[in-house]
Amino acid sequence: MVGPASVSPASPGLSRRTLLGGLAGTGAAALTGCSGSGPGESGGNKEPMVMTVWGGDTDKIAYQTRLDALKQAHPDLVVDLQMIPSGQYAQKVQTMISGGHGPDILELAETINVYSSKSQIVPQDEYIAEAGLDLTGQFGERMPQYFQYEGRQYALPDRSGAMITYWNKEHFEAKGVPAPTDWTWDDLISYGKELTGDGKFAHAGFNWWPLWMSLIHQNGGTVLDPESGQPTLTMPECVEAMQFVQDLTYRHKIVPTPRDYQNWGPDAGGDSMFAAGNISISTTGFWNIGTLAKAGKIDFDLAPFIAGKQRAVCASFNGLAISRTCKRPKDAFTAIAFLTGAEAQRTIIDLGQDVPANLEVQNSEQFLKPKWLKKDLSMEVFPESADAIFVPPLIPEWNEMIKAIDDSLAGFWQGTEDAATALGKAQERVTAVFARSRR
Amino acid sequence: MSRPVIRAHRAGPVGYAVLIVVSAILFAPFLFVCSIALSSQQTVATGRFSVIPTEFVWTNFVDVFRTEFPVGRFLLNSVVIAVLSTVGQVFSSALVGFAFARMRAPGKKIIFFVVLATMMLPAQITMIPQFILFRELGWVNTMLPLIVPNFFGGAYNIFLIRQFVSRLPTDLDDAAMVDGLGFFGIFGRIVLPLMAPVLVAISIFTITWAWGDFMGPLIYIDDESLMPLALGVQYLASTGSDLQAPPWNTVMVGSLMLVLPMIVLYYLGQRYIYEMNIIGGSAGLR
Amino acid sequence: MTDTVPGRPAIPAGPAADPPPDRRHEPPSGSEARPARRRMSPMRRREALLFYLFISPWVVGFVVFLLGPMVASIYLSLTDWDSFTEPVFVGLENYVRLLTDDPVFWQSVGNTFVYALVAVPLGMIIALGLANLLNKQVRGRRFFRTVIYLPALVPIVAGALIFKMVLAPDAGILNRGLGLLGITGPHWLLDPFWVKPAIILLSLWGTGGATVLLLAAMKGIPRELYEAAELDGASGFQQFWRITVPQVTPVLFFNLILGLIGAFQVFGQVYIMTGGGPDNASQMIVPLLFSEAFEFFHMGYASAMSWILFLIVLGFTLIAFRTSRLWVFYEAEVDR
Repeated sequence: MVGPASVSPASPGLSRRTLLGGLAGTGAAALTGCSGSGPGESGGNKEPMVMTVWGGDTDKIAYQTRLDALKQAHPDLVVDLQMIPSGQYAQKVQTMISGGHGPDILELAETINVYSSKSQIVPQDEYIAEAGLDLTGQFGERMPQYFQYEGRQYALPDRSGAMITYWNKEHFEAKGVPAPTDWTWDDLISYGKELTGDGKFAHAGFNWWPLWMSLIHQNGGTVLDPESGQPTLTMPECVEAMQFVQDLTYRHKIVPTPRDYQNWGPDAGGDSMFAAGNISISTTGFWNIGTLAKAGKIDFDLAPFIAGKQRAVCASFNGLAISRTCKRPKDAFTAIAFLTGAEAQRTIIDLGQDVPANLEVQNSEQFLKPKWLKKDLSMEVFPESADAIFVPPLIPEWNEMIKAIDDSLAGFWQGTEDAATALGKAQERVTAVFARSRR
Repeated sequence: MSRPVIRAHRAGPVGYAVLIVVSAILFAPFLFVCSIALSSQQTVATGRFSVIPTEFVWTNFVDVFRTEFPVGRFLLNSVVIAVLSTVGQVFSSALVGFAFARMRAPGKKIIFFVVLATMMLPAQITMIPQFILFRELGWVNTMLPLIVPNFFGGAYNIFLIRQFVSRLPTDLDDAAMVDGLGFFGIFGRIVLPLMAPVLVAISIFTITWAWGDFMGPLIYIDDESLMPLALGVQYLASTGSDLQAPPWNTVMVGSLMLVLPMIVLYYLGQRYIYEMNIIGGSAGLR
Repeated sequence: MTDTVPGRPAIPAGPAADPPPDRRHEPPSGSEARPARRRMSPMRRREALLFYLFISPWVVGFVVFLLGPMVASIYLSLTDWDSFTEPVFVGLENYVRLLTDDPVFWQSVGNTFVYALVAVPLGMIIALGLANLLNKQVRGRRFFRTVIYLPALVPIVAGALIFKMVLAPDAGILNRGLGLLGITGPHWLLDPFWVKPAIILLSLWGTGGATVLLLAAMKGIPRELYEAAELDGASGFQQFWRITVPQVTPVLFFNLILGLIGAFQVFGQVYIMTGGGPDNASQMIVPLLFSEAFEFFHMGYASAMSWILFLIVLGFTLIAFRTSRLWVFYEAEVDR
């Protein structure tokens, strides 16, 4: 409806237009002033490089400290750290690379071959040879292999370390349960029952792939057939292992159900509930040690991962790669070489972030008796677990495979389907994923 | 006016009861959100929030700006994107809508039909190629992909403007034409000012849409410092390390910051939207 | 009161129902001729050129942001491409696989249909009832209308996050409320059966949007109709069913179509609340598309999916328009 007030002479219209024009100008200025960290936009020579990592506060501090040390040693190499939540890491970083402005350096773990197979990261063999690095000497034989694809080296190892057991000493002592240093599956069940009660549970559960995959391997099963690369999830050994996992929750009741977790809070997980003292045993990697020790709320110690018919444990292994959108790969490599060198790797221990990949540092006294750790923890579990580490199948379709398995296990974790059914579904789906990708 | 009272138009107790219950149910989540937003860190850790606010940690509203995330920046970015998008839509749609309403040309009807037809296209068809396009332009990780397309008109806005302008009397135009004012003059001096109501309505629609847009920023923006609030709030909710749940109180404060301007905007602009309802047949497409 | 122009499809009450044909001042020489094949006067030619100049922003935008990408999308849908390496032409393979060999896709389609076909009509029905109530002389009508409309103003991101808390199994207010009635609420977002109702609930929360639209339409219904009915002894319900409903069916219909089209493209709610889980029970077409494109980088496959989405939306719109004659009431029609 046309209001009489709107029939106006030119001037109010003009002033409105100038106002809008002014806004547009400000906006444009704001836009160009902050159009992100596109590398090499201006003529400026040494723009900072970007490195993406995931993790919590400890990781952030540790990486930043190492990058500062890098700057000290190589003043022209400035690297900006960008933290990305781990749940979104793969999607974001790949979208960044796909969008043409990927990070220069990126942290990678089991998804390494998703990136390498799509040429999202560049092989580093040239630079390694040029720098004369001896990877085996520096990291051992197996570690560099994790980051190889079709014979080329795509990342340098940065952090590693087996999954280990955290246990709450107070709870154990209260219930008279011995330390879990050599437990078998049956030990977990029987002692677990003793530890559960009064609103507390014995174990956090194994519902993360490194954990249940370890159990599968301990039982003699594999996820993929080593020769054909086809999934073997319905092997009896796999089914047995997964059924064991499910029984812990629903038959023996020593692991909280998803609903029990929800009762503690909307996003309560095994790690947080262990930290809160509601769960007696948790299994994960190194990274919680520092935070738990600092919080000082619970008295805990470390033990090796439990053992089944054989010892097998998954390790965390993170490497540093260079993305294809990096404009200065040589500089990026120098940075990576420094970060994985002995000097920078010591920071990893000094700050209690993780287990360094660098062998020399790993085997040093500093690791076993780190200075930030006020209490005595059995850090030797790490070197001791080293020979039980197995290599998970690092295939290009990793993300899709894990998603297919996670989807299939949804009912399984809720207790509505048994292991055989769930793994049957998973088997079908993973086979379909491979059929699609391996034409 | 002595008109007979329509008995059926008086609400009975059942009617009242229904309205009260429905209103309560629809309002409850707002109360809950306020309660969470005002909760302390300890309550967040346990996850047991009260339905109505019982704690009143007002500092949460200040602390939200002190987290490691640039929440103030999120807000600013949202404002920039919303305002610039609106400027673009208003100007371009006004131009185009005016032309359809007031000018004659061969093929006009067909083109208008095409404009209308584009309203039915799901945005996802062009999503991937547009990503590639913006990648080639180097616009990924900037706000440009979110803002620039608005300077090329929007089908619905063009439609509304055309409807609106068609109803304006043409006498002034004719007089101006006789006086020698060209189409640009007619547009700028005469019709544009008269379009104020529909332009306001379009502004409101565009601001609302741009403010709440999530998928666009999700695809194009990676830098925290460029994220609008809609993306930023979701980003806040997805962080939190393994040892910690996301800071739900902060997230809810952020959500409230996302919601409140929309409420204010609506109440300021209600009248215009109502009128546009009538002309266009519907309004407030989400 | 307003009245609709007889013989025209009743777009809800306004001063002039349909934009009248070009009421431009005609040059004295005659009626509006078909300009195409006749020689145009220089003035008309100039006008035509100016017209194209005026609409050039839209045209440029159309070509660059719509037509071009559409064509590119068709081509992409015939390839296998991860956006990092070279695209590989595979013909119709993506479509074939989508239609015959992708259970997750079909599950997503099914979920999307369930969501759209339940949430939108249900929302309309509730809105109709509420609008009818609000149309009466209710005390505090303004207040009720405000409260009911408020959720419709909430941006999707905020709504999804809010409902994530509302639907928490034990601490969330929905289950707490159900608990007061003695019902143990399900684990909404993690239960494969209840997760779709959960997302539908979020949609219903915003029913105030449609309510206000229907209310506006109802306000346009001439009082005389009701008065006459009342004199004839019609009950409240009869008046509602025989007068109110038919009068608002155009608005109802229009918003139903728009609502369905929008519902098929739902994204944010799913992405934020459930990520498609559990086990794809809440996965819908657009989130799946997004995941295929930006998580797994199957760009070609995702493009093919977007075209199938387009066909679905198109199909629905056509069906709805075809059947509209059956149930939309136009003033000019005689009531049977």
